Amino acid sequence: MFRNYFITAWRNLRKNKTFSILNILGLAIGLSCFLLIVLYVVDELSFDRFHEKADRIYRVHTDVRFGGSDLRLTVASDPMGATLKNDYPQVEAYTRIYNSNGPKLIKKGDQYITEEDVTHADSTFFDVFTFPAIAGNTKTALNEPNTVVITESAAQKYFGTTNALGKVIEAEHVPYKVTAVIKDMPHNSHFRFDFLFSMDNVEYQWGNFLSNNFQTYIVLKKGTDYKAFEKNFKQVIQKYLIPQAKQFMEINSMEEFEKAGNKLHYSLMPLTRIHLYSDRFPEFRPNGNIQYVYIFSAVALFVLMVACINFMNLSTARSANRAKEVGIRKVLGTERKALITQFLVESTVMVLIAMLIALVIAVLVLPFFNDVAAKDLSIRDLLNAPALSMLIPLPFVVGILAGMYPALFLSRFKPIVVLKGNSNSHFKKSSLRSALVVFQFVTSIVLVIGTIVVYSQLHYIQTKNLGFDKDQVLIIDGANALQQNVQAFKNEVLNLKGVSSGTYSAFLPVSSARNDVSIFKTPVIDVKSGLDMQRWTVDYDYIKTLGMQIVRGRNFSREFGSDSLSTIINETTAQLFGYDDPIGKKLYGFDDLNKPVAYEIIGVVKNFHFESLRQNIGPMCMMLGNSDYTASFKVHSGDIQKLVGSVEQIWRKMAPGMPFNYRFMDDAFDELYRSEQRVGKVAISFAILTIVIACLGLFGLVTYAAEQRVKEIGIRKVLGATIANIVNLLSRDLLKLVLIALVIASPVAWWAMHKWLEDFAYRIDINWWVFIAAGGTAILIALATVSVQAIKAARTNPVQNLRSE
Amino acid sequence: MIELQHIFKWYPAGGSRVYVLQDINLNIEAGAFVSIMGPSGSGKSTLLNIIGMLDLPSEGSYRFLEQSVYDMKEKHRVELYKKHIGFVFQSYHLIDELTVYENIETPLLYQNVKSAERKAMVSDMLDRFNIVGKKDLFPAQLSGGQQQLVGIIRALIARPKLILADEPTGNLNSAQGEEIMNLFQKLNEEDKVTIVQVTHSEKNAAYGSRIVNLLDGRIQHIPQTVHS
Ligand SMILES: Nc1ncnc2c1ncn2[C@@H]1O[C@H](COP(=O)(O)OP(=O)(O)OP(=O)(O)O)[C@@H](O)[C@H]1O
Ligand SMILES: [Mg+2]
Repeated sequence: MFRNYFITAWRNLRKNKTFSILNILGLAIGLSCFLLIVLYVVDELSFDRFHEKADRIYRVHTDVRFGGSDLRLTVASDPMGATLKNDYPQVEAYTRIYNSNGPKLIKKGDQYITEEDVTHADSTFFDVFTFPAIAGNTKTALNEPNTVVITESAAQKYFGTTNALGKVIEAEHVPYKVTAVIKDMPHNSHFRFDFLFSMDNVEYQWGNFLSNNFQTYIVLKKGTDYKAFEKNFKQVIQKYLIPQAKQFMEINSMEEFEKAGNKLHYSLMPLTRIHLYSDRFPEFRPNGNIQYVYIFSAVALFVLMVACINFMNLSTARSANRAKEVGIRKVLGTERKALITQFLVESTVMVLIAMLIALVIAVLVLPFFNDVAAKDLSIRDLLNAPALSMLIPLPFVVGILAGMYPALFLSRFKPIVVLKGNSNSHFKKSSLRSALVVFQFVTSIVLVIGTIVVYSQLHYIQTKNLGFDKDQVLIIDGANALQQNVQAFKNEVLNLKGVSSGTYSAFLPVSSARNDVSIFKTPVIDVKSGLDMQRWTVDYDYIKTLGMQIVRGRNFSREFGSDSLSTIINETTAQLFGYDDPIGKKLYGFDDLNKPVAYEIIGVVKNFHFESLRQNIGPMCMMLGNSDYTASFKVHSGDIQKLVGSVEQIWRKMAPGMPFNYRFMDDAFDELYRSEQRVGKVAISFAILTIVIACLGLFGLVTYAAEQRVKEIGIRKVLGATIANIVNLLSRDLLKLVLIALVIASPVAWWAMHKWLEDFAYRIDINWWVFIAAGGTAILIALATVSVQAIKAARTNPVQNLRSE
Repeated sequence: MIELQHIFKWYPAGGSRVYVLQDINLNIEAGAFVSIMGPSGSGKSTLLNIIGMLDLPSEGSYRFLEQSVYDMKEKHRVELYKKHIGFVFQSYHLIDELTVYENIETPLLYQNVKSAERKAMVSDMLDRFNIVGKKDLFPAQLSGGQQQLVGIIRALIARPKLILADEPTGNLNSAQGEEIMNLFQKLNEEDKVTIVQVTHSEKNAAYGSRIVNLLDGRIQHIPQTVHS
């Protein structure tokens, strides 16, 4: 019986080539989108799950508000981990990661290489995390100072072999002995290090509960409720923090601290949630975002639905052609149930073929998709039990889903009606089909509007006046490698043609180097006069090189010998401190050695965006000092590459063997909006795909409409209808549907994009022209699709059509 | 008005050709009333379609109102057609989705006649043929004869200069048939409308001023006497 079904199914596919191709192609595109997004989502959800204790590991997060701004940190103070383990039996283990020192210069032969993926870690690192060792014993590997655990690829890179136990690695001129080699960390880990150095080599003022610089992970014993455990932090604060804070400021209790509008709060985040839910600072790698997982999943489902709808629409539209077959089969005694089965088998066969094509498309598109999504996915990732258990039933589910309605629809035909040839009326007015077409276009138009809004916002970011000039600024990282040549290097570069000014400061509006400090308005360090802000160490030429603007007072100047105790604040700081004219006023804080100092305000810099445009501009101040990790040069040369070449030559001369790492400020700026750009690209791809699928559907519908109305078209032509009349006749109804879709899609898209834009403190307004543009695009594309077919129908010789009677 | 010269029509049939029309030469002056006769399959409908510009001959030339039809642009041809020709089909060819009223109205729509005028013209016709009561019915709700009548009214509504009718009375009873023939004659005599009809009936053919006999795609030149 089934064999018979398959044979009829196959013959029907071949008999209606246009129909089959349109249907299978639409489905295949939809399914391939779906496959890609499943890959992406499965990968996003898999982060950090490979650790044996994954479901019991938590990271300690700190929330501080002191003065104006909120700090939401991923780090805690250095004694926190040990304190928790000592005081609370529920804590089975803890470990800390410290990489505030940033990249390290590592020696290879007589060259130095900047390694980014480095950190210091506690010896308990491997008690908490699971990273299999290739050589050595990870349990004890980091017990001693001057030890390092490296990955397989690091070992290959530096020693040409994974057999690196006992070899020595020189990092920042300190020798470390390799005590273990581990497998490379999986890509779905929220951190990926190649070098784990012993914590004992970190120079730090240990025991300070008030500075937060350590990512701290704890393992809770089985069955511990982490939400309940978080309540213990109050106790920790009372017992350890308050006594320490009293040494610095007038503070007696937490209540008093909070009454002044301040906040100190600790929380735990489950390890497996970090990648998708942490929106805190700092992170080791850019995180994912659960919102985008939802958005992508929704888009995947919608694209698949749009493709299924095509299938339903084309199948029912074709009903007139199949009606006769149904009638005859019924007269021959076939039951309705059998007919339904037959149609379902047919649709499933089609979906299976589409699935195969979809796999091919997915494989072909994957590199592009990886590029857009910044992933390293492989189609092999689908070959695991959970993914397969979802994918194998997929064609059958889709087949039944898409085939059920046409099956019910077709099998309902009454033989007499069908055989008398009146079945046409079935085709013409199907409100369900109209609703489905509307749905398809609502989806397409929402995506088009989304794309336009995302790109407008990106354009806005790109062209917004940021308060500094990011164009043509050459940044050289790791400039401290120049050592005693720091000044000489700057001078020689300034002598090059096309370089107008240069500055040393690790603090740039586009980098993540940050320095949060508390600054006070009065010499009495009390809670009420304090403000948490950025304190950036800059030099005399900083403001000039970055094209910032002094709105009051003056810049730092070499002519004033006393500027070492001067400060320039931004407009926000002036406003938060309530100064109309801050020039000459004093600010109080602590220097690097925690000694109190007073600074005189000599200038106010126009607010500039030092965070992404998602945030408002917070308070900040600048002080003179040495911060020579990064050099920036303002250039204006036609041949930038040649200029960079000249700079590199100077570098080679002055810092032999040291890596020359340069970048441009506008690129670094763009980097801040990678995820938005990614969303933009994804939105545009899916918008195009959805429209393509929807148009395949429209094309099919109008083809069948023309086929059904072939006689009518002939008669009308004989009665004097022009081609334009006929095209109008065929496309009017479909275009009406697209218009309705526009009306429905506009508010939906407005709402969704409004939500998305809310993430930005600085954002565009959604203009009415966006809707017109999106609607216009949809209508134009739909019109083009429809008229190709309609014109063809209108041009055929009427006699041929009328003969067929 | 109509000049056909050396018209051939063939269909390919397994390598060779099946000739449906062979070397047709036919002149029809404005104001003539011509009846085309011949056995079934002799090519009458084909010839009428060619005259009505619905079909192209395989070979030959056709001049309509002194203009060479096959050198004309499609658009021009449609214009000529709209203005001058009314066509009555052998198998009615009404639009199933439109009511009787709307079917009749359609040619006027394509000639951009104003709505009020359209209404007057259609109502007038409905009156004249006594089918006012049927105006809101769909073709499927009419008898074959009624459908034929609507088809004829639709051809007449735009007051064409040339009416091409393929067995217009084939499905009508003899009283109705006679009525149509009288109407044709009246149009021909009073309004100088040119009429070309295909018919199997000698009686109907006799209404015309000339008979063209087709046999196997050729015009038979048998001397005939025409009684009016
Ligand atoms: N597409 C075609 N292919 C092959 N032969 C065709 C085609 N169309 C028409 N014919 C043939 O052309 C011939 C003439 O057909 P036509 O319709 O003109 O006949 P007719 O004289 O109008 O007959 P009737 O009186 O039955 O209406 C017929 O023999 C028919 O089989
Ligand atoms: Mg005929």
